[in-house]
Amino acid sequence: MNVTVRMGLMVACALPGLLHAQFDFTIGGRDVQIHSFVSQGFGYSNDNNYLTMNTSQGSFAMTDGGVNASVRITDKFRVGAQVYDRNVGDLGKWHPQLDWATADYKFKDWFGIRGGVVKTVFGLENDTQDMDFLHTFALLPQSMYPTDLRDANIRHRGGDIYGEIPLKHLGSLAYTAFAGLRQDSAYGGYPYLLTATGGHLTSYGGLQVGEDLRWNTPLKGLLVGASHEGEDITGKGTWTLAFPGQPPFTMAYEEHSNRDWTNQFYGQYTIGNLRLASEYRRYWRDQTIFNGMWEVETDVRGWYTAASYRISKHLELGTYYSRWVNSWVDSMVGLIQAPSQNSPDRHLYDKVVTARVDLNSHWNVKVEGHFMDGYGSPGMYPDGFYTSDNPQGLKPKTNLLIVRTGFNF
Amino acid sequence: MRYLQHFLISAALCSLAAVNVRAGDIKVIANSSVGASSVSADELKGVFLATKTSLSDGSHVEPVLLKSGPAHEAFVKQYLGKTDAALETYYRSLVFTGKGSMPKALASDAEMVGYVAKTKGAIGYVSVGASTEGVKAIEVK
Repeated sequence: MNVTVRMGLMVACALPGLLHAQFDFTIGGRDVQIHSFVSQGFGYSNDNNYLTMNTSQGSFAMTDGGVNASVRITDKFRVGAQVYDRNVGDLGKWHPQLDWATADYKFKDWFGIRGGVVKTVFGLENDTQDMDFLHTFALLPQSMYPTDLRDANIRHRGGDIYGEIPLKHLGSLAYTAFAGLRQDSAYGGYPYLLTATGGHLTSYGGLQVGEDLRWNTPLKGLLVGASHEGEDITGKGTWTLAFPGQPPFTMAYEEHSNRDWTNQFYGQYTIGNLRLASEYRRYWRDQTIFNGMWEVETDVRGWYTAASYRISKHLELGTYYSRWVNSWVDSMVGLIQAPSQNSPDRHLYDKVVTARVDLNSHWNVKVEGHFMDGYGSPGMYPDGFYTSDNPQGLKPKTNLLIVRTGFNF
Repeated sequence: MRYLQHFLISAALCSLAAVNVRAGDIKVIANSSVGASSVSADELKGVFLATKTSLSDGSHVEPVLLKSGPAHEAFVKQYLGKTDAALETYYRSLVFTGKGSMPKALASDAEMVGYVAKTKGAIGYVSVGASTEGVKAIEVK
């Protein structure tokens, strides 16, 4: 996509915000709210290219934005929609997505339903992971919220039931149960991974059913919770095989879930300007791939612990430590994973420090350093480092600088 | 040890005084359509964090904020347990995920009183010295 079109899309995202006053308007006596955000990042790493960007040379290919409109029809009924677009290296490629489009009816504070295209409530940050301005960090812990696999869990086409139940002196319990269809973009990390070996997915998705339960404890500022989902995913497309001395051969391709689930546990404590957070996720992926020929079991486990402190109205500092390890077992002959998790192709540990400067309440700049150990690749599921982006071979350590600025209104 | 005791007692008294000063700085007000004349602190927090849309008497309520100022800072800190920046982040997380709307925010006590007086279900807060003619005072228990 050429620069003019890119700039046009960015302006389209930013314009409602820049003209904020003109874009909150009334129809039939009902207030229509328009909000938007846009962010631009720059990544520079010492060796390995990360998140499909050419970070070893310095990359500005890190742009995203969205615009939404919502209106409250009655005291209990609300509708709205958001369009989201991104271009992060080879991810997104400026193909806009309907990020959410919901009709939400709240019968009681303890029971509501919403349906349509719904952002998935899962863990602390899943549904807000794109909104850079809501977070201290330029990149959220990738062990939990991988930028390249955003599509896997970000939304479902279906519905939620939700509510919050007061527990008197024991705080309150908020619940969400969801069911719907996941439909990944063709420009996500998994299709990109397959492309390197001849795969071309034309569809990837299926049923997701899950729940999230979070307890606002009686200890002021302490939240703990757990999320779970099961899914039944099918991928379809083509695979092109090339053998020496033979013309390339393209065949229909299919893969599907046998058993696929995710569990996540989390806690957050906020006191004054200090915020502490920690999450653990285990993703189990048992799939039959290559038209039923092979079975792959992938066990991905990640956790992080993060702290951030707002020094002043304009400055916030943060740090986190994120760990990601994977194990996979494959029925394919000849593909064997390194036996030890100390091997750099089986883990990715990331130490991060960040300074966030809020120039005003709508505009921030973040400077962030990542000190990564391992690259977790090649694997049966992506983790940010791709062998196709690093033909020179992946180095065991990566230092990465991210500078990111974001506007929102 | 005695000095330490004196210091701790003094610090505790100072902090209590500070809390009282803040509590005295704010009046919670509501539109006359709101049946309740008092709310619990938990209810008030739930209303302003958009997890509650009605009070225990069944009245539908809609929170209204001040944009800034001492009364706003005190209200947000004391009743919602957040900083102003954290509250803004919280509301934006609702707005950008499709799970809520940005509440109305007004620039002054007079605007707040005027808006609450004419808007069914509106609940807000003003400085203690502000005129509250035309709105209902709500006691926070």
